[in-house]
Amino acid sequence: MGARVPRWIPSEPGEEEPLLAALGLNDVEELFRDVPEQVRMGRMGLGAPLEEIDVVRRIDRILSRNRTHSRYPAFLGGRVGLRYVPAAVDALLLRSEFYTSYTPYQPEASQGMLQSLFEFQSLWVELTGLDAANASLYDGATAAGEALLLCRRLKEGHRFLIPASLPWEEKSVLANYAAGLGIRIEEIPYDPASGLLDLAWIREAVGRGEVFGLLADLPNGFGGLDEGLPELKGILGGVPLVVAADPLALAVLEPPGAYGADIVVGEGQGFGTPPSFGGPLLGLFACRAEHLRLTPGRIVGATRDAAGRRAFTLTLQTREQHIRRSRATSNICTNQSLLALAFVAYASLVGPRGLERLAHRLSDRARLLAQALGRSPALRAPAFSAPFLWEFAVSVRAGSAREFLDRLAAARVLGGTPIGDPRPGRAGAEEALFLTAATEFTDRRAIRRYARAVGGEPPGDVAPEASRGGGP
Amino acid sequence: MSYHQARYDEPLLWEIEPPPEAPAAPEPIPGVPERLRRRHGVRWPELSELEVIRHFTRLSQMNFGIDTNAYPLGSCTMKYNPKVSELLARRPGAAEAHPGQPEATVQGSLEILWRLEQALGKITGFEEVSLQPAAGAHGEFAALLMIRAYLAERGELERRTEVLLPDTAHGTNPASAAMAGFTAREIRSKDGCVDPAALAAAVSDRTAAFMLTNPNTAGLFEPEIVEIARTVHGAGGLLYYDGANLNAILGVTSPGRMGFDVAHLNLHKTFATPHGGGGPGAGVLAAGPTLAPFLPVPRIVRRGRNFRLDYDRPRSIGKIKSGLGNFGLDLRALVFLLSHGESGIRRISRRAVLNSNYLGQRLGTRLPRPFRPLVKHEFLLSGAPLKARGLRTLDLAKRLLDEGIHAPTVYFPSLVEEALMIEMPETESRRELDLLVAAFERALGDTPEALRAAPQSLAVGRIDEVAAARHLLLSWKDLRERGAVLGMAGPTPEGATPGKT
Repeated sequence: MGARVPRWIPSEPGEEEPLLAALGLNDVEELFRDVPEQVRMGRMGLGAPLEEIDVVRRIDRILSRNRTHSRYPAFLGGRVGLRYVPAAVDALLLRSEFYTSYTPYQPEASQGMLQSLFEFQSLWVELTGLDAANASLYDGATAAGEALLLCRRLKEGHRFLIPASLPWEEKSVLANYAAGLGIRIEEIPYDPASGLLDLAWIREAVGRGEVFGLLADLPNGFGGLDEGLPELKGILGGVPLVVAADPLALAVLEPPGAYGADIVVGEGQGFGTPPSFGGPLLGLFACRAEHLRLTPGRIVGATRDAAGRRAFTLTLQTREQHIRRSRATSNICTNQSLLALAFVAYASLVGPRGLERLAHRLSDRARLLAQALGRSPALRAPAFSAPFLWEFAVSVRAGSAREFLDRLAAARVLGGTPIGDPRPGRAGAEEALFLTAATEFTDRRAIRRYARAVGGEPPGDVAPEASRGGGP
Repeated sequence: MSYHQARYDEPLLWEIEPPPEAPAAPEPIPGVPERLRRRHGVRWPELSELEVIRHFTRLSQMNFGIDTNAYPLGSCTMKYNPKVSELLARRPGAAEAHPGQPEATVQGSLEILWRLEQALGKITGFEEVSLQPAAGAHGEFAALLMIRAYLAERGELERRTEVLLPDTAHGTNPASAAMAGFTAREIRSKDGCVDPAALAAAVSDRTAAFMLTNPNTAGLFEPEIVEIARTVHGAGGLLYYDGANLNAILGVTSPGRMGFDVAHLNLHKTFATPHGGGGPGAGVLAAGPTLAPFLPVPRIVRRGRNFRLDYDRPRSIGKIKSGLGNFGLDLRALVFLLSHGESGIRRISRRAVLNSNYLGQRLGTRLPRPFRPLVKHEFLLSGAPLKARGLRTLDLAKRLLDEGIHAPTVYFPSLVEEALMIEMPETESRRELDLLVAAFERALGDTPEALRAAPQSLAVGRIDEVAAARHLLLSWKDLRERGAVLGMAGPTPEGATPGKT
């Protein structure tokens, strides 16, 4: 009492006295008499409370130390993208009925969020060509981890195959999701010229037996499109196939369900939310109908209310931790519902044709970028011969990619993201590689600046960008 | 209070403008192999911006949120989400930063995370904090992986396969234990708390860890915590703190002080980041000296004014998520902490516990309260007497929705028959507490028929969850193929035209 506290805690005179009086207490501290003296804590050393204006100024001052894409030309991609968020999407995310709501365990009070999630699930089903989707997982990497666990429920065995080119973070997350299983994750080597999966190696590995699943990514960790993907199911037979796919790529590429994928996961941040320094993100997860009861995460279904009106509710909850406890299909509770709402709102605002136009625009710019960087004596760009969409790997001719990108940042260009594992001694052959991306903010001027900074030719002599319109 | 939610027969997006069955294939992107190209465009409607805005705005009006409705949800800590946090999380410097940028260009983001880690370290009594987990359960899983790594290093992993927990534990605890490869074993509570004798009998050289929430889900502070820590450590096990209920003890005690080895916190509970309709949340891992070396990489290290990412942690479990955690939520939590400061943080627990005891006393005259009356941030009621009137706790919960009040957590923990678990955090005023009591009284005084018919004033009435599970309709694809089983041609059985009714 007495000390200043934010108005978020009702503290006006007369506020607490009646509550204390009803309990026959003089001092609120009496309510803590069951906490043993031995474990009591003293001052924490947190400092004095700040007024709102002072908090705003302090946070702004800290953030002013960042150099983000609105200040430096940026070619940052990977699973997290620099993508424009239409104002209409954010306006919907600011509806506090959505963002301050709890998990829709009381469906009658939560029809808005439930219908939105049903629409989100429907969209991911349309994009993947699979039968059913859940209402989101934490991010693309943990969705891949959950996919591994589902594969293990579907098939006996102790070997799980992943591309050696998979981003190191995802490999590490997968290793952690698999830690309790006592299984082995094996890396499929890539062809040094194309960067693509070695199908003969896979055929041989599957032939040796004990493989309970394979994950392939689209595009892969080097930005490449693997023409071999549609052949995988033929090689795997009864072994489940997981495809980790970029949702924007699926607006122009064949749905993996059409060539036999059993599970499709992905990172959905690019649809309607900013990168936010890597979180919150959106884990996408779809599967076949026959595997539904073994899948992780919340699922929304359509039903009727007592009067026969259409309504939506969480369903198949007996798979989940709050009912099944240690026998649940996953421990997940909190998911990424608000980002799932952003995903479906974004896709609906842009529309399927708008997504196609965006895919074309980005890939046009990426080819322009590749031509420009390809002329730099310091780089091999692209590093691999495989076709790509809007991202591709680049190899530095000397030193590490990380140091190269640091120097480039000092010259005010954010040229890409390193591919190698940053843990000491783990980068291996990928130490010289980085991933560079064309984004919606990549205009010709940005490409010119990048090209100059790496000693390449500015792309003045390349064909003008195809005009497809529909810019943000 | 009488409450009326908006009620629209809002169509699904594809009912606004049905897209063609097989949209034309997208124009090929040069270089993309023919066999990878889409043969048909994505089947999704083309709508105007206004149509999409109206659709989702109407949907939002058919949804409870903290800004419109009180949420007495036990163990969920549904406190007010400050508006200034939304403003600041959207600043370009915060939202635009990419996790793959060079350290030198994201010093601001790293400083936000480092400052939050420092503050949470002081609150939890632990030196090292990682913000990488995406949620509470994710933090539990990560902590158990750290325990695995610790046991493996000591050569004890083969033997120590059991994770013990009380029967009042949140469902995520046993689920996380199983996911991390342990066997979860529940210990029966006594008077709502851990029975030290039962715990002593359960620990052995097979014990990897004991997971505990304190105060627990009955809202009771575990008075034998010192003894519990001694027993678990004495058997060579580790003590895990589930931080879901941290709101009750901020500035009173801490997991570090109580003898825990590792903790997870939920920023979306204690530190007021919005729940977003079920997520995103943000989990936190805080560890003492035994387990800190196993925290996920990278760690953020300060050198003078500068911050860098340290990956050189050979004993680390590695990564449990891409990036450094849910930065957008971390920033909101830091805003909350800076605004409160030391005095404000200490006030939170006092007011939350005062609210809970006041409500417990008032509502305890209406329904039985199990266990001792002195509670922390939440308390339990039993809806068992309703059964004499042919009613269940669920009916009461649905009737409260008609009062514009979200239902409490129901049927948990399972050791109380027809349980209701109630928590009204520190941001709820005396007037809101009294409104909740009045709403309960009206609901309990209503006829059995009225309770069974509730809710009546929301967008939809009581929902048939059994039908939802029996006839799985989980997407538009399912509606196209099998929607007829529930007469799902349109939003109403008659197929009435959409519009406000």
